[in-house]
Formats: sequence, C-alpha cells, structure tokens
Amino acid sequence: MQRRSSGYWVRRAIWLLFVYGLLLFTVLLTALPFFWMVTTSLKERAAVHRIPPQWIPNPALWQNYVEAWNSAPFGRYFFNSFFIALTTTVGDVVTSIPAGYALAKMTFLGRGVILALLLGTLMIPGQMLLVPTFILVNRIGWYNTYQVLIIPWTAGVFGIFLLRQFFKTVPDELWDSARIDGCSRLRYMFQIAVPLIRPGIATVALLKFVASWNAFLWIIVMTDKVELRTVPVGLRFLQMEMGDYHHLLMAAATMAIVPILVLFFFAQKQFIQGIARTGLK
Amino acid sequence: MKLPVPQAWKSRRFWRETLEAYVYLLPTLAVLGLFTFYPFINAFLYSAYDIGTRTVPGEPVLTVTAGAEEWAGALRRGRIPEPLVAFLAERYRVDPEQLWVRLREANRWVLRDEGGKREFVVLRESEVLTVRPAVTRWDLRPVGWKNFQAVLADRDFHKALLNTTKYVIISVPVTLALALLLATLLNQAVRGRGLFRTANFLPYITPWVAVAMVFRWIYNRDIGLLNYLLSAFAGLFGQEVSVLDWLNDPKLALPALILMQVWRFTGYQALILLAGMQGIDREYYEAARVDGASAFQTWWRVTVPLLTPQLFFLLIISLIGSFRIFEEVMILFMGAGPENSGLTMVYYIFRKAFESGHYGPASAASVILFAIIFALSLFQLTVVQRRVHYER
Repeated sequence: MQRRSSGYWVRRAIWLLFVYGLLLFTVLLTALPFFWMVTTSLKERAAVHRIPPQWIPNPALWQNYVEAWNSAPFGRYFFNSFFIALTTTVGDVVTSIPAGYALAKMTFLGRGVILALLLGTLMIPGQMLLVPTFILVNRIGWYNTYQVLIIPWTAGVFGIFLLRQFFKTVPDELWDSARIDGCSRLRYMFQIAVPLIRPGIATVALLKFVASWNAFLWIIVMTDKVELRTVPVGLRFLQMEMGDYHHLLMAAATMAIVPILVLFFFAQKQFIQGIARTGLK
Repeated sequence: MKLPVPQAWKSRRFWRETLEAYVYLLPTLAVLGLFTFYPFINAFLYSAYDIGTRTVPGEPVLTVTAGAEEWAGALRRGRIPEPLVAFLAERYRVDPEQLWVRLREANRWVLRDEGGKREFVVLRESEVLTVRPAVTRWDLRPVGWKNFQAVLADRDFHKALLNTTKYVIISVPVTLALALLLATLLNQAVRGRGLFRTANFLPYITPWVAVAMVFRWIYNRDIGLLNYLLSAFAGLFGQEVSVLDWLNDPKLALPALILMQVWRFTGYQALILLAGMQGIDREYYEAARVDGASAFQTWWRVTVPLLTPQLFFLLIISLIGSFRIFEEVMILFMGAGPENSGLTMVYYIFRKAFESGHYGPASAASVILFAIIFALSLFQLTVVQRRVHYER
C-alpha cells in the first residue's frame, strides 16, 4: 500500500458521506409508497382525509384488514392465485427440463430450426396474440375455465433457455459413464443432471411464480366470472366498487403483496442472481 | 442425380436420438404451437377480415312433448317452468336465483344464466319444445386492407401511437440514466451494498396492480401525499405551488405514469448494471490510476464503455417492454386517462377488440405493434450484438 496524505482521507470521507447520503435518500424514496400504503391501511376513514397527513396512525385499526377481506371473496381470490401460480410453475418446470436438456445435450435433425423457432417467439408481443387466442379459446369452449388460465402458461421459452444454459455446464463424461452402466437417458436426466442444476430450476420456478401471480390482462380477457378472479384482478374490481375508501383499498393492496414479499425474502439470493444472470446473457 | 447425404444420417443412433429429442420437446411444442404459433399466424390472417359474433342455438339437450303447451305459456309470461329450472340446475349447475328470461318471442325464448354467463334457447316447433345451449358463431368476411385503412385513419390510433412514443422516448432514457447513477453509487458503497441493492430492487418484484393503486392514492389532488410533500417543500422556501391534478389534467397524466414506472424499474436496471460493473477486470482501473485519470474520468472512460453490453441489453428490453405499456394505465387512471391522454397502442387494441367487438381492426393494430417491436428486435440482433460484444 502506498501512503496517502491526510487530505486524501478527508476527501474520501466526504465522498463516502455523499455516497451513503444519496443511497439513503434512494431507499427513502423507494420505501415511501410502501410506508404510505401500510399507514393508510391502518387509519380511520376520517383520519385518511386529514391534512397535514397523520404519519403514524393513531389508533391503528387492524380491523381494516378484516373489513377489506370481507368486502370481496378474497379467500377465493387467494386460492385461485396460489392454485394457478403453483400449477403453471410446476408445468413450466416439468416441460422446460426435457426441452432444455434436449437442446443442450442432444444432436438431432432440426435442432437449429427448433432453436430459431423458440428464439423467434421472444419477439412476439403477447398482447398481439390476445385477439386470435380469445377467438380460439371461445371456439374450443375454454372461455371462463381454469384450463385457459393454466395450460397456455405451462410452457415457456425463458425457462427452456435458462435451463439449457445450466445443462450445458454438466460434463458429458457423466452421461457417458451412466450410459455404460446401463442407465436410460430419462433416468439420467432426472436423477443425475437435474439435481446438479437445482439453482437454475429454482430461478425459473421463482420468476415464473411471480409472473403468474402478477398476471392480469390474460385473465380479464379470457374470463369474466367472479369465481375465476385472482388477487390482482379482484383488486381492480374492488377499486372500481369502492372508489374513495382509501384505507380499505390500501389494506387490500397490502394483503396482495405480502405473499410475494415473503417469497422474496426467503429466496432473495436466487431472485437476485437469476435476474443479474438474465441481464448478462 | 444423387444428393450428398450427411454422414450422421447414416447412423441409426442419430435417428434414435432424434426421435427421443422430439419426445422431450413434444409438450413444449404442443403448448406453444396451439397458444403461440397458431394465434400468431391468425393475427395476420384476421387483420384482413371483418369478424363478428352471432349467438345461435346449439344441439338440443332436452325435448319436451307432453306439457309443451304449459311450458310455452309460462315462458310467455316470463316465468321459467320448474322442471326446466331443475334440469338446468342439475346438468349445468345453474343457480336458479341467477336465471331469467332475457328474450321473449312468439316461439323462441332466451334464458340467461347470469352466474355462469351462459344462455339457453328454448325453441317451439309445432307441438315440440327443445332446449338448446346457445353457442357463439364467429363470422369472418374478407375485407382486404380495409382494417388497416380504418386503423391508420383513426384519430384515436394516432393519439395512441403518439402517447406510446412519447412515453417510450422519455421513460426509457430517464430510467436508464438513473439506474446507471444508482449502480455507480452502489458500486462505491462497499459496506451494506447488498442491503441497499435489495431495498432498491423491491418495487420490481412487488405486484404492479397494488403499486398502481398506491400511486393512484398518492397522486390524489386534494389529500394525496405527493401534492402535500410538494407544497411542504415549497413552503420551506416561502413559496406556494398550485395544486396539481395528477390524475385528471391531460398534461400531467404521462408524467404521473412515467414517475411510477421509473420508481418501479430503476432498482432492477441498477441491479443488472451493478453485476456488469463488478465483472469489470481490476486491471483496467489500475491502468487508469497509473495514467493519472481522475475518478470521473475513470468512470466515464473505463466503467461506462465497458458496460455497453449491459446498457444496450437494458435499452432494448426496456424499449420493447415500454411499447407494450397498457395495464398500468388502466389501474392508475381507471380508464384511458383524461382526454385519452393515457391511451396507448395496446390499450387501443384492447378497447377495439374487447370493448367494441371490432376484432378485425384490433388485429390490424396488433400487426402494426408487432412490426414496430420486430424492427427493434432486428436492430438488436444485427447492429447491437455485432458491435457491442467485443469483450468475452
């Protein structure tokens, strides 16, 4: 290490103060809407309208959450959200594993064509497919059903390509020796290769779950039954029904984000690494 | 003439592997084929058709001969015969409370099941009554380029195109510039970097419907947080600001939308840029230090140029993503915004198709949207990928 003058350390301290000051400010800006949501959700109706605003609700009305929960069939909404997110996630992982494996490790006729075809779908904006899919769904009688909310989302190009990248890192020698021992490819894939790429599968599953939880447009186009609404769709209808009951709307919004935030805090590493990785592709 | 056959084609193992690979790919190809490729082709096809729907009676599920006259009498008075209610309740799980006679004609009645959003038709032919579930028929009539002409002449479409373009041109560079600054700060802060990174990343993972509802509340004209903070801030300097009506002033709708989107995406983009910054080889910084570069020079001449792969990646995906903006508008403004100031291309498609039932013009607008996004993707594939990936 070379020696630095005392002036250097002073400048360095000021710089770090500046850096951390600004970072704290960005965290404040990020946190403010969350804080405001939770604060509002605990206020009395009259306190919501007070200016200057009450920063800490007094008294804190946890009752608002009960009232918000009872103002719409939220039990059903949450069941639908969990059910659809879980089934599409499992479906996506189950179809992406063999597809990703085949594209990473097997040589076969038409491999280039399939790869190009799958890459090409990334350029298709989903909204472009709404009208033709809506007509198709009506024709096959899937309008207002669970299958229209699940089946079309059980395969995805994103998962296939991510798992393909991971499968590529598995050494070929493993397959060679497994084959000599008389192991079938299917068994090798699920019993040996899949455990080796667990982080990749976790990333695909997490991102899929979140995307599925947040789905909105597809659901309002392909269904119009209360029984099929998910949490975000239910929120929108609640918003239309009770325009200025801000405290109840914010309580409902808080309930809607809690499952995703809990998931995020438990699997932070996979989320962050997964997303940083997609950026580096 | 004999064509040359690739060596691999002669081996039986190659063909067995090909068969096996397609078995593995089958589930994916089946789902994507039905719900992506097939609709994709249809999107182009439908843009050349006038598409309308008609409700027609389907195949009979119940035939009544004895008592047909009593049934018809009840239906004429708007009542539904008990046995019919029981039949529909058992076979179609119709809730009797939700069932009513929507249409009464001489020999034809339409029953609507409000709960199941279904209809049933009762037809009387001579002495026989038949009950049939209603089916929707899609009528397609070719119209050539008419849909495109209609869309391109539609002032709402111009507005949608203009709004979307404005939104993209402002929000994309603003978010990216702020993300670059944030990533730089995060890169400087060695202690607590992970914590700050996570905090800034949270908006991206938060369900956006909830976010849009919170922002709608924050933007409230009279009792919203934003206007309160603005006036409190101005008050510090003894100034007064006029009350801004974020949600109802056509001039402010786009800024309100952009502010929310910047809040949502800056942390996510910063995360990707930070990962890029940490991948930069220390040697470059050593070299810059030896050459006596200032901190700013090092950042501008070393860090930023070496980040071009990440910057371009983010630029392209946020360009493409921003052209698809719609759902956030719907929640934030509970509609298309004041004077359609939040009407975007996808909103236009949605409205045409699912609010007015003009599926043909909606398909034409979808094709135009696709053309724009396709051009951007091609730009990324050809120009950017070749010029940017000089490293690694």
